[in-house]
Amino acid sequence: MTQDHDAGTRDHQVDRTMLEARLAKTWRTDPGLWGALATVDHKIIGRRYIVTAFVFLALGGVLAMLMRLQLAGPEARIIGPDRYNQIFTMHGTTMMFLFAVPVMEAVAVYLVPLMIGTRNIAFPRLNAFSYWMFLFGGLLLWVAFALDMGPDVGWFAYVPLSGPQFSAGKRADIWAQMITFTEVAALAVAVEIVVTVFKQRAPGMSLDRVPLFVWAMLVTSFLVIIAMPAVMVASTMLILDRLVGTHFFNPAEGGDVLLWQHLFWFFGHPEVYIIFLPAVGMVSTMVATFARRPVFGYLALVMAMVATGILAFGLWVHHMFVTGLPRLGESFFTASSMAIAVPAGIQIFCWIATLWSGTPRFATPLLWVVAFIVTFVIGGLTGVMVASVPFDTQVHDTYFVVAHFHYVLIGGAVFPLLGAVTYWFPKFTGRMMSERLGTWSFWLIVVGFNLTFFPMHILGFQGMPRRIYTYQPDLPWHGLNLFVSLCAVMLVAGFVLFAVNVVRSLRCGVPAGDNPWDAPTLEWATSSPPPPYNFAHIPVVGGSNPLWESPEKLPVASGLCLDRRELIVSSVVEAQPEARESSPQNSVWPFFAAIATSVMLIGSIFTPWAVVWGAVPVFVTLVGWFWPKGTPEDAA
Amino acid sequence: MRRRAVSTGFAALVLVLAAGGCQREERQTRLDPPIAAALDGVALMPDRISGAPPAVYVALGKPYERNAFNLAEGKRLYGWFGCAACHGEGEGGKGPAFLDGWWAYGPSMVSIVSSIRDGRPHGMPPFRDKMTTEQIWQLAGYVQTIGAYSAKTAAPGRSDAKQRRPAENRAPAALLFDPGPTPLHPDQGPEP
Repeated sequence: MTQDHDAGTRDHQVDRTMLEARLAKTWRTDPGLWGALATVDHKIIGRRYIVTAFVFLALGGVLAMLMRLQLAGPEARIIGPDRYNQIFTMHGTTMMFLFAVPVMEAVAVYLVPLMIGTRNIAFPRLNAFSYWMFLFGGLLLWVAFALDMGPDVGWFAYVPLSGPQFSAGKRADIWAQMITFTEVAALAVAVEIVVTVFKQRAPGMSLDRVPLFVWAMLVTSFLVIIAMPAVMVASTMLILDRLVGTHFFNPAEGGDVLLWQHLFWFFGHPEVYIIFLPAVGMVSTMVATFARRPVFGYLALVMAMVATGILAFGLWVHHMFVTGLPRLGESFFTASSMAIAVPAGIQIFCWIATLWSGTPRFATPLLWVVAFIVTFVIGGLTGVMVASVPFDTQVHDTYFVVAHFHYVLIGGAVFPLLGAVTYWFPKFTGRMMSERLGTWSFWLIVVGFNLTFFPMHILGFQGMPRRIYTYQPDLPWHGLNLFVSLCAVMLVAGFVLFAVNVVRSLRCGVPAGDNPWDAPTLEWATSSPPPPYNFAHIPVVGGSNPLWESPEKLPVASGLCLDRRELIVSSVVEAQPEARESSPQNSVWPFFAAIATSVMLIGSIFTPWAVVWGAVPVFVTLVGWFWPKGTPEDAA
Repeated sequence: MRRRAVSTGFAALVLVLAAGGCQREERQTRLDPPIAAALDGVALMPDRISGAPPAVYVALGKPYERNAFNLAEGKRLYGWFGCAACHGEGEGGKGPAFLDGWWAYGPSMVSIVSSIRDGRPHGMPPFRDKMTTEQIWQLAGYVQTIGAYSAKTAAPGRSDAKQRRPAENRAPAALLFDPGPTPLHPDQGPEP
């Protein structure tokens, strides 16, 4: 076997047709259900991840429309208070934990290996496991909601409201355990991306030549690794308080209620940047392509992203300004909250400079970028406003805050994401999205969004609190609320049109070539959609924009085996090739491991013994997962 | 084909869970007045110990024993209406204990509802004019859990306060039962 292996055919020994056939056989995903469950192809998993996240976006959107329906008029009787509590909690939880973070990571799972010129993500089985965990966590939450036991304590589930005394039943437990699912999934992807970016870049792609989206995902992944454990610890403490009678959050027994808020926002604020930084990467990528010049201020953009990532951990307390903190603490966190506007400003100016000095071509993705810049600046400005304590004290927990964070999250992340979907759709599917439908949905969404959310600033000034299920007719809110609800219909129409565009283009879009936008990054160097092995030869990179610098023919590395899944491991800084490394085969064990873990985690909501007995099947599946293969480890 | 199999399986799972799980989480913020009136019709035995619960209570699925929200509400009422002044946190005091598993009038819901609503001799005041029917049933459900013989699937959580006894959701109070009956104070309990 070993002899045979060492003597195995290398890629320079066969002709192109033979090469592609052999690689396709080695890297294939088997057809049928079993093959689908066992696949570890980052493109298939990334595609699933993206589609699932968009399904959750649609579900969360339906909930938003239900809320707008209820709030359209005073004293409406459409949704009762209990159901309304569940709906706004589900809306926030779904959007934050099941859409925003997963969709960004999903795009990275698909694109990062392609952009850095490798054949699969690092730890591909962990990647499969991550997707199944995410899916099962989402199902847990939504099945519970369908059974009238959806969480009803707000998406940040403050204690004591979510604690054992005031949150009867299993609702808050389901929320807390859903957190565990999604955070396990997110952490797994973050680790994969860090390793992929550091160790699997194409030869020659030194750190200063890494595409900006990849930089953004690298910083994001570090944020995930540092921030997510805080909320996992917090939600586990909450579950322990609720199920086994610990006292982490019980002041009478020495616990601390504010501890929850600190732990949650130590995660929760970086979370905003975990969602925003990938969008920064997408925008930087699209701006360069459509301005038809390399992005202005590459170094400044990278440093701004790193600075955002670091500062993100220094301002969580601005969510807690009304909890009665010492003045010095408030001042510090005001200053740090305002300081993060500096790297954001640098990014904005770099993009404007790129567009200014380039020859922009206003295709739909670039329209989204422009809408992003405008909307995000508005959201950023209200962010600076609420960073100041006296102002924040006035508008805390009002619709002003609702307006602010929808501006930064939808304007700052969803707009670039929709642009990115349009931009990379040809790479994902091999077909272009319709420009005409795209432009229509663009204007509907952007105009609808601003008409829906801008009036909420005013409602906030008029004192309308968040999370109320109705209001009295003599309050001065009903005119604007009706207006907001009507405009929300326009926003939804835009999203529906976007979905129609996706489905139609999938069937009968114009076939796209390998590189329809004339983009400079490596994912466009392979066919659309990419073959299972991504690249027939691993490319060798000589600059930041490889496809612009050598448009005719990319230099490639050769000498990789064809009979096993092999990719190049390179050095961290210079990306000097170091070894030929094997990439794991398909395996169904990650799926079984995810099922066993889900059974254990869901069981633990009902009895602590589930952790003990549930660990046994988890152990068994992990043994299956890591069972030695009997093949030589490396042929470096 | 595969998708259909998956969605059928999912739908079946939802149905199974729905059949088993939903009632314990349902929350009603306001009871229908006719149901409240019907719940008042408790048919006690002549000695006012035990009896038949109203038909509507059974038809509803015994919500005051099986629904976590109602039990938690009952626990709050226990504090708000000063039950602890005589019964402590279930260990008793001026009034009889609940935690010891000895029920002077039996552990049935109708007895407890009647005790709260109509009062009992030797000090238990009637709460008929102070609480709504729904509140009385909620409180009765909670009182019943304090001295329950077996664990229920629904229970209120522990309070954010000093813990003087294990939380209700940890185990049935039967673990804490005294081996013998607490001797009745001569002023307590039913007339012989």
